[in-house]
Amino acid sequence: MSAGAPTRTGAEGAGTAAEGAGTAPVTPVVVRLKLALLRNGLRRSGGRRAAYITTAVVVLLFALLQLLGLVALRGNAHALPVVLLLAAVLALGWAVMPLFFPGGDETLDASRLVMLPLRPGPLVRALLAASLVGIGPLFTLVLLAGSVVAVAHGGAAWAVGAAAVLLGLLTCVALARAVATANVRLLSSRKGRDLAVLSGLVIALGAQAVNFGWQRLGAQGLGRLDPVADVLRWIPPASALGAVDSAGRGSYGAAVAQLGLTAGALALLLGVWARTLTRLMTAPDASTLQAAEPGERERGGRAGGLARLLPGGRTGTVMHRSLLYVWRDPKTKAAWVTSLAIGLIVPVFNAVQGTGSPYFACFASGMLGIQMYNQFGQDTSAFWMVALTISSPRDAYVELRGRALALLLITLPYATLVTVVTTAVLDDWPRLPEVLGLSFALLGAMLATGAWTSARFPYSIPQDGYKNVAPGQAGLAWISIFGGMVAAGLLCTPVIAAAIWAGLGPDGAAWSPLLLPAGAVYGAGLTLLGLRLAAPRAAARLPEILTAVGKG
Amino acid sequence: MTQEPGTSAAVRVRDLWKRFGQQVAVAGIDLELPAGRFIGLVGPNGAGKTTTLSMVTGLLRPDRGSVEVVGHDVWRDPAAVKARIGVLPEGLRLFERLSGRELLTYTGRLRGLPGAEVDRRATQLLDVLDLAGSQHKLVVDYSTGMRKKIGLAAALLHNPEVLFLDEPFEGVDPVSAQTIRGVLERYTATGGTVVFSSHVMELVESLCDWVAVMAAGRIRAHGPLAEVRGQAPTLQQAFLELVGARDRDAGAGLDWLGGGAR
Repeated sequence: MSAGAPTRTGAEGAGTAAEGAGTAPVTPVVVRLKLALLRNGLRRSGGRRAAYITTAVVVLLFALLQLLGLVALRGNAHALPVVLLLAAVLALGWAVMPLFFPGGDETLDASRLVMLPLRPGPLVRALLAASLVGIGPLFTLVLLAGSVVAVAHGGAAWAVGAAAVLLGLLTCVALARAVATANVRLLSSRKGRDLAVLSGLVIALGAQAVNFGWQRLGAQGLGRLDPVADVLRWIPPASALGAVDSAGRGSYGAAVAQLGLTAGALALLLGVWARTLTRLMTAPDASTLQAAEPGERERGGRAGGLARLLPGGRTGTVMHRSLLYVWRDPKTKAAWVTSLAIGLIVPVFNAVQGTGSPYFACFASGMLGIQMYNQFGQDTSAFWMVALTISSPRDAYVELRGRALALLLITLPYATLVTVVTTAVLDDWPRLPEVLGLSFALLGAMLATGAWTSARFPYSIPQDGYKNVAPGQAGLAWISIFGGMVAAGLLCTPVIAAAIWAGLGPDGAAWSPLLLPAGAVYGAGLTLLGLRLAAPRAAARLPEILTAVGKG
Repeated sequence: MTQEPGTSAAVRVRDLWKRFGQQVAVAGIDLELPAGRFIGLVGPNGAGKTTTLSMVTGLLRPDRGSVEVVGHDVWRDPAAVKARIGVLPEGLRLFERLSGRELLTYTGRLRGLPGAEVDRRATQLLDVLDLAGSQHKLVVDYSTGMRKKIGLAAALLHNPEVLFLDEPFEGVDPVSAQTIRGVLERYTATGGTVVFSSHVMELVESLCDWVAVMAAGRIRAHGPLAEVRGQAPTLQQAFLELVGARDRDAGAGLDWLGGGAR
């Protein structure tokens, strides 16, 4: 917290208490609190300040570009659909953002204000005003203003436009606040924190989808948006921009209705927000109870079923736990989903766009093989439970083999699928066996190097936040992952050489199908060798590994 | 278990050292812990209790010295030692994304117990430790007391000869503490050895029949409770005397504190 802000707010609070609660000017206090929080957040470290300023500059540049684009769109037949869609996307963004960045705005967290003697009415007003401070609202303001410029024709339309910008902005901000307040129980619980770890991923994948959709749209024309626009023009806050268009056309009745719709939505959101805020500040917190209860029975049943299908002994036990963690541990899950998505997107999208090669399918093997790296780091300090049951290189071998098998259970079918899909899209079936062989060899090499580096270069993975390496261990992580990947590539050279020979040699094509079994056997051999070499190292270094992975 | 001490030491530590950078955490410990007893390792925060227990259980490599548990060297014969000890460390995680029951199944099977036997023991342990109702809840959603209890269950599952517990009662509510206590007393009554660390003297005094007092990385006193307590009325008094903190008067500088506003 800051040195300056609390004293000032404290002094004012004391003053208002003496004057009586009725005239309390809460709004300026909360706005000033927000500014102080912003300022002090920046003061805390130079890196953070640089990051904030960079973000601000980038966002504002982006907003200006959008503004130019929107101004250029003025007079275009498709201006209205684009503007409506933009408003809808903005609103969606505002609704979703607080779920992903619950810690982003401390004034968003009403539980911090519980102890203050405030009524919901003034509090909602004050918080709404405070929400208008920041880059996000500025960005929204610029975009909404640009949208009005794009569609406003005539004096009445400009007048409606001014109201539309204000209403649209307030609706967006109120939406964010209402959603955040309604979900504050979730956000402060374990499930919410799990969600936050996954959020970066969802945003990255979402951006990819938007990008892809945009390219499609560019190819097929903006005319496709028209039916969407017919619906969106009646949905707040896009309806406010619809009103601007209606006013420009002279249909004032529709304009008033659309503007009224937005205002009604704003009132409704504020009402819902005030009500949840009141309930939140008066009802006891039961976040952990609520979050933990549902889905218990189903979870037990599913786990039991999975366990029955796996082999017995340590192998099956280790596989079972690894697979459960892929699903339940947010960090592991995020890593897996990233690998699965990128492993699919890169080869298949390249193939779809006609720039691909079936060899790109090996990307899937490479991405998924990375999951074998730093196995013990993924355990965090819970590795002691494993360490206490490993008393010989044989135990360590079975442990590592179990983890590799769990990985293969997902990776092998997936890499095969990606390879087949990529080949199908490119219609290059003769290369399929060869690429599959190469994929399997690479996967085997990744598992081998992954097992070895897991034992030799373990490092901690912090469980909270977005970081994947504990402070001071970044070098270790780089050695582990990049050294391992280079080594895996080198280990694959015999298969790569054979593939090149099969592609260039005079009668190489006839031999190409043989690369499938050859690659598979070579990969399996590499994995077994890697596990054999890693096991004695892991068994001999248990305390050192525990120390290295326990810093998270 | 009524063998004489010396021939039946559960734990034998010789010249044990551990240094972290400049700080010497454990400075040459020699200690023999008798089998079949309820043993308390007491000392203030930072005395080296956790470091010592970590080295004794094979989770931390000592700089020097040797550790034997029930006659087997921890570092030369890990298989024999790991099969015979149960451990509940402090400050280390569990596999928290497993449910309580899954955690026990996982631990039991890693220890090589047959599946049906693991299920039977897990059910009984969950029952006795009052965890049956939340056995399908993920450990990450457990309270501190529940975590300690599930950790204790995991440590007991393979019926170890010696149980090492680091601060098993830290942050535990009175009801859970009583449950843990009951289980531990039953365990020692049938011949098991419990070694646990704590800085709560009253607890150690009421539970243990043998104590070792640690301060600044060394053992200050050890032996049967009555012997260590000596003439002092309570273990707390004896302990303060041993670590030389008895005459510190905490209140001298705070004459304004209490007695209503002035």
